[in-house]
Amino acid sequence: MSDALHFASHRLQEIALVTMAIVYAFRIRWILKFPAGKERQAPTGTGSLKPRTSIIYSWFNIAQPWAMESTRTKFFLYAQFVVFHVGVVAAIGLSFVIPYGPGLLESPALMNIIRILCFAAFLVGILRIIRRVGSKPMRVISSPDDYFSLLLLTVWFFFAGLATPNNYTGGEFILMTYFWMTAFFLIYVPFSKISHYLYYPFTRFYLGKTLGRRGVYPMVKGHR
Amino acid sequence: MGRVRSHNAEKVLERLEKKINRQIATSLAACVHCGNCSSCCHYVLANPDDPTYQPSYKADQLRKLFKRHVDWTGRVIPWWVKAKSVYTDEELEELKDVVFGKCTNCRRCSINCPMGVDHATFNRMARGLLVSVGIMPEGVAVVSKDQWEIGNQMGVLKEDYIDTLEWMEEELQEEFGNPEVKIPVDKMDCDIVYSINPREVKYDPRTIADAAKIFHLAGANWTMPSEGWDMTNFGLFSGDDDLGGAVGRRLYEKVEELRGGRLVISECGHGYRSTRCEAPNWGKIDVPFVMESSVITMLNYIKQGRIKVDKIRNEGSYTFHDSCNNARSCGLFEEPRELLNLVVSDIREMYPNRTENYCCTGGGGAMSMSEYTPLRLKSGKIKAEQLEATGANFVVTSCHNCVDGLTDIIRHYKLDMKVTQLVNLVAEALVIPEKVVVPEEEVPVEVEKPEEAAIFAGKKILVVDDEPDIRIFFTSVLEDNGATVIEASDGDQAIEMLRAEKPDLVTLDLNMPGKDGGQVFEAIRKDEELAQTRVCIVTGRPELRRLIYDRPVAPPEGYLDKPVDEETLIFNCRKILELG
Ligand code: SF4
Ligand code: SF4
Repeated sequence: MSDALHFASHRLQEIALVTMAIVYAFRIRWILKFPAGKERQAPTGTGSLKPRTSIIYSWFNIAQPWAMESTRTKFFLYAQFVVFHVGVVAAIGLSFVIPYGPGLLESPALMNIIRILCFAAFLVGILRIIRRVGSKPMRVISSPDDYFSLLLLTVWFFFAGLATPNNYTGGEFILMTYFWMTAFFLIYVPFSKISHYLYYPFTRFYLGKTLGRRGVYPMVKGHR
Repeated sequence: MGRVRSHNAEKVLERLEKKINRQIATSLAACVHCGNCSSCCHYVLANPDDPTYQPSYKADQLRKLFKRHVDWTGRVIPWWVKAKSVYTDEELEELKDVVFGKCTNCRRCSINCPMGVDHATFNRMARGLLVSVGIMPEGVAVVSKDQWEIGNQMGVLKEDYIDTLEWMEEELQEEFGNPEVKIPVDKMDCDIVYSINPREVKYDPRTIADAAKIFHLAGANWTMPSEGWDMTNFGLFSGDDDLGGAVGRRLYEKVEELRGGRLVISECGHGYRSTRCEAPNWGKIDVPFVMESSVITMLNYIKQGRIKVDKIRNEGSYTFHDSCNNARSCGLFEEPRELLNLVVSDIREMYPNRTENYCCTGGGGAMSMSEYTPLRLKSGKIKAEQLEATGANFVVTSCHNCVDGLTDIIRHYKLDMKVTQLVNLVAEALVIPEKVVVPEEEVPVEVEKPEEAAIFAGKKILVVDDEPDIRIFFTSVLEDNGATVIEASDGDQAIEMLRAEKPDLVTLDLNMPGKDGGQVFEAIRKDEELAQTRVCIVTGRPELRRLIYDRPVAPPEGYLDKPVDEETLIFNCRKILELG
């Protein structure tokens, strides 16, 4: 392994992670500076009245595709969402496995699983690009950041899939590209839409708290 | 040199950051533009070719300001995240058309967003920002003014309110043959203080009488307040937290002043949500007494055996429409069904329902924004399909706004259906003890009532409207009920006929070509010979009421908002003509 690849897979990742963590810390501080508001009303409704239950329900709502009409009626899109996000976990995990636990990739099963997940996410990325570019309603709501973030992730999945065998004997281009992209991705995330997962716990917490107190969450079946 | 900003734009931006709480900040930051919520909005379903109706697109019209001025990436590279500032009043007007005209704050997209983005909540905030600089639909301005100044949304004067309660009390006394039946006002130390929607006073006093009948038979110790009785709250629609808090406070203070045990809120979705849930937050008030929907009160009376009902009395098939505010924001969806099940036999569920139901299109104050009426009616397509699919004869709802919204949809889409509320069905199903002991053969004597057709016998009514359909409708309803009706299609003709025919009552449309209703009204009041003529103003645009307010003459005897149904027309004409 060349020094350049060693730097890219170790020090560069650490710098990127620390930068991301610092920016995130600022981000969370920024979120917390907004007042949280107080719910003064007595609980209403027939559903769960325990805030904790409804907040947990809200956080895991996304894992229940049957709960929301938007996921229930668009199952193909929901499946894409799952594959895409599992791909993110796999590709990020790979950036830790290669430098700190390369031995794990000697297991062909694990190596193949990560590879399949990354390539599957890459294919979903392509489908998502087609949808975002090809559908007028999607174009109308998309910003350059939406296109770029999607493109960045799709290409990154591709290189993650290629980099999974961690084979640099035949050339380091693939691994170098993957690690430099990962570093860029980590630093870019807090400034882009990709940081949505940072907001997710907050939006869902407050929605769960409010709708739980009002007996709306957990949702009662309203469809046939 | 930077672009110059209008005073209003400056103010909106200045207030934006102050109004944002944590839930709104994260909701504004979190949207990933996945488009998942789009198909959940009734506006999108009715306008499939126009992507600007998508909730995320509409949300972005506020979000772009947030990104440009509050968030960070948008401050540095605005174009990258479509962040944009606002400079002119025209741009604020465009935002107004989005937040008031293209969204009823129904919250259907909110519960369908995987990210938990609560669009309806920040759409309300955007309304509040615009209202704070005086940019709003005219109807919103008028209704807000009424609620601030007169104390209720429909500008009902205290005398009219008390008059209506007395009128209903007399009807009940007559019905029960018992002068002891009361609609108590300002009675101290009651278990229940009952608050209502001003629409009940103006257009549907039967709901007050029905509720009173139920309280009477249940032996309730109850009262209605003489002031601060309006449980509706336009602050919810206008986004004005100050108004919302003040309206709530007025009602809470009155209950405390009367030392009431609990506040019962008549069937109204936004009233229930505002009074029960939101006003304590807007006004930062810790309310010390219990507040409940009259649906729960009625249900408890039946369960406790305090009133008896017989569902056979409500014939026909029924479906239930969940009001967005009741179901999606207050979780009130099982109790109304339970109650409905006790008072009717044939129930046909509407799909989707409960928290997934579609808006009646009249939510978010839409009924008072006549400039958006065509858009609203178009957006009701999915609602019409839902209603029609049930095949029911009646749609029941626990909300006055929904009554109006659904009535409009039914008329617009020519559905064969009527709208009713639970209080009417419960009252109809009541088993009245005195009645059940009467031997059967005496029943015909008991049902001896004045002939309905003779209500307006001997009365001459002038119907003034430029729309032939309305004239035909009014004329046939009034003639069927015994009135002699004459018609005028414009202001000049109306004045001529007034002088020649001296009618007892004029129903006067406001918006007419040539001499408008306001001018005709002023002419009537200023003419010594005609000044005493009773006038009922009819308008499809509540904001035009100012044409009347602004005139230096005595107010009209009544108002009717279009669309007007048969029952409302008869009720109001009876009331104005004092035909008890
Ligand atoms: S579903 Fe949520 S995240 Fe997706 S576009 Fe709608 S508001 Fe944005
Ligand atoms: S709140 Fe209702 S009307 Fe408004 S955008 Fe969402 S779904 Fe549409």
